[in-house]
Amino acid sequence: MMNFRTVLLYILLLLFAANVQAKVIKNIETEDADIEVRVFPAEGNVLLLGFPCDEGKSIAEERTAQSLSEDGVEVWMPDMLGGFMLPKVRSSLADIPTETITAIIAEALKTGKKVYLIASGPDTELVLRAASQWEAEDHEPVAGAILMFPRLYKDTPVPGEVPEYVDAVGKTQLPIMLLEGGRTPNRWGLNTLSNELQKSGSDVTSKVIPKVRGYFFKRQDANRSEDVVTSQMAGLIKVSLFYLGESEI
Amino acid sequence: MYKQIYLSILLLTLSVLSQGMVHAANLKPVTNEVAAPSLTLKDLQGDIHDLKDYRGQVVLVQFWATYCGPCRKEMPSMNKMMSKMGDTPFKILAVDMGESEAEVRPFVEEVKPEFTILMDEEGKSIEDWRVFAAPSNFIIGPDGNIKYTLFGGVEWDSDELVDKLKALAK
Repeated sequence: MMNFRTVLLYILLLLFAANVQAKVIKNIETEDADIEVRVFPAEGNVLLLGFPCDEGKSIAEERTAQSLSEDGVEVWMPDMLGGFMLPKVRSSLADIPTETITAIIAEALKTGKKVYLIASGPDTELVLRAASQWEAEDHEPVAGAILMFPRLYKDTPVPGEVPEYVDAVGKTQLPIMLLEGGRTPNRWGLNTLSNELQKSGSDVTSKVIPKVRGYFFKRQDANRSEDVVTSQMAGLIKVSLFYLGESEI
Repeated sequence: MYKQIYLSILLLTLSVLSQGMVHAANLKPVTNEVAAPSLTLKDLQGDIHDLKDYRGQVVLVQFWATYCGPCRKEMPSMNKMMSKMGDTPFKILAVDMGESEAEVRPFVEEVKPEFTILMDEEGKSIEDWRVFAAPSNFIIGPDGNIKYTLFGGVEWDSDELVDKLKALAK
């Protein structure tokens, strides 16, 4: 016979399971490709649309997405590389049509939720490219973008010279939150990047996450600080949404 | 036939190896008269170093960090370079990019650099010198102007590099 404590535990687990909605796979048909989207549904009014470009991997991102959905933030993770059968290399980004990304943004906005974009590393170029095209087409606006350790230099910066950025930088008015690791030389480029992004009217906020390197949540050799921040990434993203003016989280 | 295959593999290997190294040819000459920005920082002993006090010498100003793999790898070759430069008036000022003394000391005790490590926890000089990647190197001539820049890890004790820096001192 079950004791009171066991019964209570079962009740709590059932209540928890009722609130947590499982990941679902959604296929979005665009003109160029069928894109598989991992959807972490939530009841709230905020939808976070990420471009992991990872051919179905990204374990830390999935855990974060699950955690966010439990907190009421819906997360969509489209597999852009898989959709176009592209290899996981930086040059593949150029082969992803902007129209395909904007088609996914349109689909996300159909939910009636406020849509925020998120990407990391070189994938941040896709967000900026899509945002500027979306604005040019005069649609219902996207609420903002979170760029985690953006890698937006056109080439390796020459010492002593202002770096040149990819063409998508400085073309959108989207409010932007920049996150960068404290243990990467790129943190010293945050001001310059912010200035470039602001030239087109974006309201840009930047924060340095102390004691972590870039790509901290993708690293095999993660140190203790990086493990801790990875485990708290959902909170970090919620704080970023707050900085972008989101009050419904 | 086997000899040809062996030679092809050997040539391919040499080609791949040479691509992984940065040569003196990667030194980017600065042709205009560009004065080095000011640089006044403390070393790990607390002594202040001012770049302008080294006027008349060739100075390698390097921006590095302990988390930067290529920076860690090339430091022993900087030690060897110091001895290869012999009597040439030459100084290395290696500026750590924004780390604390507690982070830098263990690395310094391991590598034992025979040159000056400068600390810039606030990153002021990093902005002044427009450094956006590590390691970033500036070769300053005896006149205080920037003669070359170089990004990336390099074998600093290569004869080609040492000769180029010695030539600057003449």
